[in-house]
Amino acid sequence: MPWSLLLRHLLARPVRTALTFLSLVIAFFLVCFLKSVVGALGAGVEAASQSRLIVQSAVSLFVNLPVSYQSKIDGVVGVERTCKLQWFGGYYQDPANFFAQFAVDADRLLGVYPEIVLVEGSEAQFLRQRNACLIGEELADSFGWRVGDTVPIIGGLYTRVDGSPWTFLVAGIYRPSSANVDGRTLWFHYEYLEQSLENGAAEGPDGAGVYVLSLARGADVTRVMGDIDRLFENGPQRVQTTTESEFQRQFVSMLGSVPTLLGSIGGGVLFAILLATLNTMLMAGRERTRSMGILKALGYPSRAVFALLIGESLILCLLGGMGGVGVALATSEGMGSFFGGFGIPGYGIGLGTAAMGMGLALLVGLVAGIAPAIAASRMRVVDALGAEH
Amino acid sequence: MALVPLSYNARSLFVRRSATLLTVFGIGATVAVLAGVLALQQGFERLFTSSGREHVVIFLRPGATNEGDSLFERERAEILMKSRPEIALDEQGRPLAAAERYLAVRRRKLDGGETNVPIRGIGPRSLAIHGELVEVVAGRPVEFGADEVMVGSALTTRMQNCRVGDVLLLNTTPFRVVGEFRSEGPFNSEIWGDSERIGEALERPLLNRVVAQIAPGTDLEKLADSLEGDKRVPAKVQTEKAFLEGQTQVLSGVLLFLGGFLALVMGSAAVLTGTNTMLAAISARSHEIGILLSMGFRPLPIFLAFLFEALLLGVLGGALGCLMALPLDGVRTGTTNFQTFTEVAFAFRITPDVLTTAVGFAILLGLLGGAWPAWRAARMKPTEALRRS
Repeated sequence: MPWSLLLRHLLARPVRTALTFLSLVIAFFLVCFLKSVVGALGAGVEAASQSRLIVQSAVSLFVNLPVSYQSKIDGVVGVERTCKLQWFGGYYQDPANFFAQFAVDADRLLGVYPEIVLVEGSEAQFLRQRNACLIGEELADSFGWRVGDTVPIIGGLYTRVDGSPWTFLVAGIYRPSSANVDGRTLWFHYEYLEQSLENGAAEGPDGAGVYVLSLARGADVTRVMGDIDRLFENGPQRVQTTTESEFQRQFVSMLGSVPTLLGSIGGGVLFAILLATLNTMLMAGRERTRSMGILKALGYPSRAVFALLIGESLILCLLGGMGGVGVALATSEGMGSFFGGFGIPGYGIGLGTAAMGMGLALLVGLVAGIAPAIAASRMRVVDALGAEH
Repeated sequence: MALVPLSYNARSLFVRRSATLLTVFGIGATVAVLAGVLALQQGFERLFTSSGREHVVIFLRPGATNEGDSLFERERAEILMKSRPEIALDEQGRPLAAAERYLAVRRRKLDGGETNVPIRGIGPRSLAIHGELVEVVAGRPVEFGADEVMVGSALTTRMQNCRVGDVLLLNTTPFRVVGEFRSEGPFNSEIWGDSERIGEALERPLLNRVVAQIAPGTDLEKLADSLEGDKRVPAKVQTEKAFLEGQTQVLSGVLLFLGGFLALVMGSAAVLTGTNTMLAAISARSHEIGILLSMGFRPLPIFLAFLFEALLLGVLGGALGCLMALPLDGVRTGTTNFQTFTEVAFAFRITPDVLTTAVGFAILLGLLGGAWPAWRAARMKPTEALRRS
């Protein structure tokens, strides 16, 4: 097999090869990118814990549950620990600096969320002062906050009567050990919020948005969920107990057709690039007719001609695929923090995405190369030699 | 200066029809993706902006950006409605103003999933204020004091228990669906009932917004200034149009960003493909270019001729892309507006703006792809060009 001919063919038209290569790089980058965005949107669901339940209002996402519910839920057999979780909805300096803040039972938080791993500060420090908070590492990095800093947060949902911002003392910085916990969250004492509301220093809804519960070892999940729901069936506020993954899924399903839309865009990109590569390969095939005729005249079998043309297409596409996946990998971190800033954690080019990109590159290479390869291998030597470019 | 006849280039596209078709499809796919994303943005934006009125104003709590965040105590809302001479009066001399409740509640979709549907508790004057936007198409309007609701027509085919005659459970209180209404704007995805009954069923003592028609000639800025400094009822006021536009900014921005990003990335790939095609077209015709040059055509007309050929490719691609995107027009879809956390149903809209942007973009792609090859063609030496076969 004249393999060196294959390389020479690729380099025969350096401009065209380079242009096709570049457009392949762009296309496969885009496909990997879109796949990762769709993946990131559902990342919380995949990583969600099965042994953690969420109790929320069955009526509305925006209705809080009474504080009195907590001790009743604590009493349900199979429940190990409960923790209040209340959305705070504030921002730092400018509404564009969006990140999540939750008021929680400070002494129970790390018990129900073992994924919150402190890398600086300590739980003891967090418990010591009522205005203490824990912040994610990404959040600390983006605003330059350190343990011991006092951070002012402007309340969106909870406003202070005197118009001043809330202040929290950073007692610890955590790194989530799993994608279901966001690395850009601020956790603070529910008591701090509650007391500010009670003594009239602040205004806003009372109660707790949801209760997060961890289950005792060996507890029957379905039975526990049913027991809790039945407790409050006749009001005052009906509840809906779900697994954490089901809870996360409700936010994903809110996106409606967005994931489908992104998927079809990816399909459009692939289609366009397939056409472009096919175009290149057809052009190449036409130009090679004569030299293929010479090869055949020298006694090379048809399958050698076939292999040469399809090999050219495959090499080009695989190189392009590698380039595209490479760009996607190289930009993965930057894109990750970009989407993290919008409250979408979990963007990343995984092994699966990279493999998918390379697989599609292989496929495009095969499909684009096969038509000219078949045409050339079937051609009669006389016709090929007599052909004009 | 003699120009190369345009039919020369048009015919050459026809002669090389497989390459032409592939390039046109490549540009078409790019343009179709862009047009699709733009059509989505147009549909969403139009839903919100088409129904906004200038003579209707919305009062919210200072600092609130949407209805859900805004809260008014009943007495304060009453004071606001009665004490402002800027508010227009009806025939009986009552102010045309209403205090409304607003809450996104969980409802099950007919296909099984769960989503957030806005419930609006309306006041006695709400129907007079919104009458011009809302048309009851089945059943009758709700009666005040009764546990009844009427449902926007976008919901009747998507949600469970939303047809006229059905019974819909809010927390623990059953409400009868007595009517269906249609509206061009976001009201079409809402459920309406008596504000008092809804407030009691959902345990929401506070009101969310005050809406009013203002007397002609009112200076809105003056009204806003005096409300901001008001000791009894501080509020911020804006026209319904401005309010609705504010509700679309984030999603619109995301869609425009997505469209721009995809156009840039896919467009670069399409330009590279276009360049490839034109380079091949020119190298295959260097003999003909040599003849043109020896016949006395100047380089500029030759440059223009090949640029025209590339332009033609762009126009064809643009037309094809629009054709591919056209079936999207009117397709209904739904996503969550994350500014309000409620689901809105809307349709793709292929507006003239979308079409002109798409075709303009396609032409740009063609020209960018053709410029360099055309320049190369124009710079050929007649003798060399003639010698190449």
